[in-house]
Amino acid sequence: MSRFTLDQEIKLVQDEMLLLGSLAEQAILNSVDALRRRDVAAAKGINLEDKRINDKRFAIENHILIIFATQSPLAHDLRVLAAMLEIITELERIGDYAKGISKVAIRLADDDTPIPIREISAMADKATSMLHRALGAFVSEDLSAAYAISKEDEEVDEQYRTIYRKVVQNMIKNPEKIDHADQVLWVIHNLERTADRVTNICERIVFVVSGELLELDNTDDEDKEA
Amino acid sequence: MRIHTRIAKPFITTLVLVLAVWLIALPLLEKSAYQKASATGEPVDLSLVHNAAFLISLTGLVIGLYISLLHTSRYVDDLKTLTRAAEELGEGKYQEINLAPMQNSLLEIRELREALQKTAEQIGDQFTAISKERAMLSAVLGQMTDGLLIADQNGRVRLLNRAAEKLFAIEEKEALDRSIVEVVRHHRLVELWEDTRNGPAKTITMEIGSMHKYLQVVGIPLGEELTGRSMLLFQDLTQTHRLEVIRRDFVSNISHELRTPMAGLKALSETLLDGALEDPTVARSFVVRMDSEVDNLIQMVNELLELSRIEAGYLIFDFLQIEPCMLIQKAVDRMMLQAERAGLTLSSNCPTDLPSVFADPERIAQVFINLIHNAIKFTQKGGWIQVSAYQDGQMVVFKVSDNGIGIAKKDLTRIFERFYKADRARSGGGTGLGLSICRHVVEAHGGKIWAESVENSGSDFYFSIPAVYLENHN
Repeated sequence: MSRFTLDQEIKLVQDEMLLLGSLAEQAILNSVDALRRRDVAAAKGINLEDKRINDKRFAIENHILIIFATQSPLAHDLRVLAAMLEIITELERIGDYAKGISKVAIRLADDDTPIPIREISAMADKATSMLHRALGAFVSEDLSAAYAISKEDEEVDEQYRTIYRKVVQNMIKNPEKIDHADQVLWVIHNLERTADRVTNICERIVFVVSGELLELDNTDDEDKEA
Repeated sequence: MRIHTRIAKPFITTLVLVLAVWLIALPLLEKSAYQKASATGEPVDLSLVHNAAFLISLTGLVIGLYISLLHTSRYVDDLKTLTRAAEELGEGKYQEINLAPMQNSLLEIRELREALQKTAEQIGDQFTAISKERAMLSAVLGQMTDGLLIADQNGRVRLLNRAAEKLFAIEEKEALDRSIVEVVRHHRLVELWEDTRNGPAKTITMEIGSMHKYLQVVGIPLGEELTGRSMLLFQDLTQTHRLEVIRRDFVSNISHELRTPMAGLKALSETLLDGALEDPTVARSFVVRMDSEVDNLIQMVNELLELSRIEAGYLIFDFLQIEPCMLIQKAVDRMMLQAERAGLTLSSNCPTDLPSVFADPERIAQVFINLIHNAIKFTQKGGWIQVSAYQDGQMVVFKVSDNGIGIAKKDLTRIFERFYKADRARSGGGTGLGLSICRHVVEAHGGKIWAESVENSGSDFYFSIPAVYLENHN
């Protein structure tokens, strides 16, 4: 087959990947919104949406494997396709984080205990904005944007620590609310992980452009989760 | 003269000349040769005659051809000019076409020139009209507040106006020819585009991205002339949506705020009816509590009415020229007792050299009372509240400070919204309207109100009022 069709095929996969990214991004925002509004129906809707994300991820994976088998892409094309194979996995995981948050939203829907929802929303906004821009940077192969976005992960980590401290203080003050606080910690943990996944996407951008496999996340995962 | 006669004329002349030589001159020459021969008895020698005739006709032919060449070459030049003009027309250089009148030329060529010149002018006119229309259209597209995107059958973006550029943070020249997915980056928008490509117009409302833009999007197929193309029209309803949310919150807040004292009243009156009335001391304490609940309700309804009057602009202010310290003193005197009851020190500190302000003393007193009241509510026993004033350029700034619990940073800008309560658990019986009223009153004076605070160590509320500068002040 000619080069022209390979280019077209790659563009098609790229569009599909962007759509998957949009699904994941919206799932995170919707799950936090469901948590805010204590909206069980919306939270359950995210479960269905997650199935769609998983299906789409497999469809894209299939598409990429067919391209590998039929077109034998080389060099840059090969890197783009391999990177997308990786990125769709990250996006699928982000979808799972959204599902995790929506489960918490369902569990906490009948509980009147206040949630630091404004801080959580800000964290979700930051993480999804990073995701949105990272996928844009992948398409335009913008190396400096990739580095800048991965740096923003530190801000999300900081937001995480601030909310974490606040929630733990509440735990100490109101031990009877520990279960509730534990759920809130789950939510911010998922958001923090979302931003980490975006950093992985940024690593793939560096890989596509330079061919180098770099670790952009300087903090050790174990450290962070401790 | 018609073109065929014009071109044929030199040929015919040449032909006639040659024929004349052969038919008339030759027999005459031959005849004279015979006569000369019969007179002299010499044999007839026609070769000289023939040679002469041949030479004459050859010369005539050459002259005729030369004349015809001269004649036609001028027309050929004209035709070449016209051909070049036609080519330029094709290249779109209609402005450069300016053909000189070809008065000596053939009628056809002159007609052709006129037609060409006219066509060039008409094309020019049409171009001007079209570019005017385009400019108008692009002005409309550029200035319209709704975003607009047109994509072709294959999902390539063909047009993106300025509002849409802003919405999707991409410039039109970047976006053109890219896939709609790359540009809009949202699955629901792509689905809408797919639906309208294959079906009728459709409208959706959605919230988009981490910017939380609330959009109404209309997908419209563009019909027969632009087959396969469809248009997405984005209306930004974020503001409307926000107002709607505020209105909903307002109704739910006010219901909640009214229900609490009502429930208290109901419980008290039920207890009274159930027998407490018989015990005069209990009954009295109940009625006192009922009275204070009713006071709360009255205050809230009054504040609501006041706020709606201020917001509607119906409130009349009675501006006077007044000393800032008088305003402070009056307010401090009025609140002293309440502060003492709460175990707080209320003091004032007002420099005497401040310029006068132009203010409605009653309304400003209301602002002070609201601010001091809040300070009392949010400061623990043993704390202090200080009211002071200073000059800042053209304004006199009043300040109410306390060393109470303070306000979280995120709440600082929002506390002036109506019904906003930073800390519901601690704000107790307030209506959440006080600061909102303060803001309106201060703004009506041409001033500003703001707050600074450090959590757990106190708050400073400021408001400014323009100072009065009398003509003879300098």
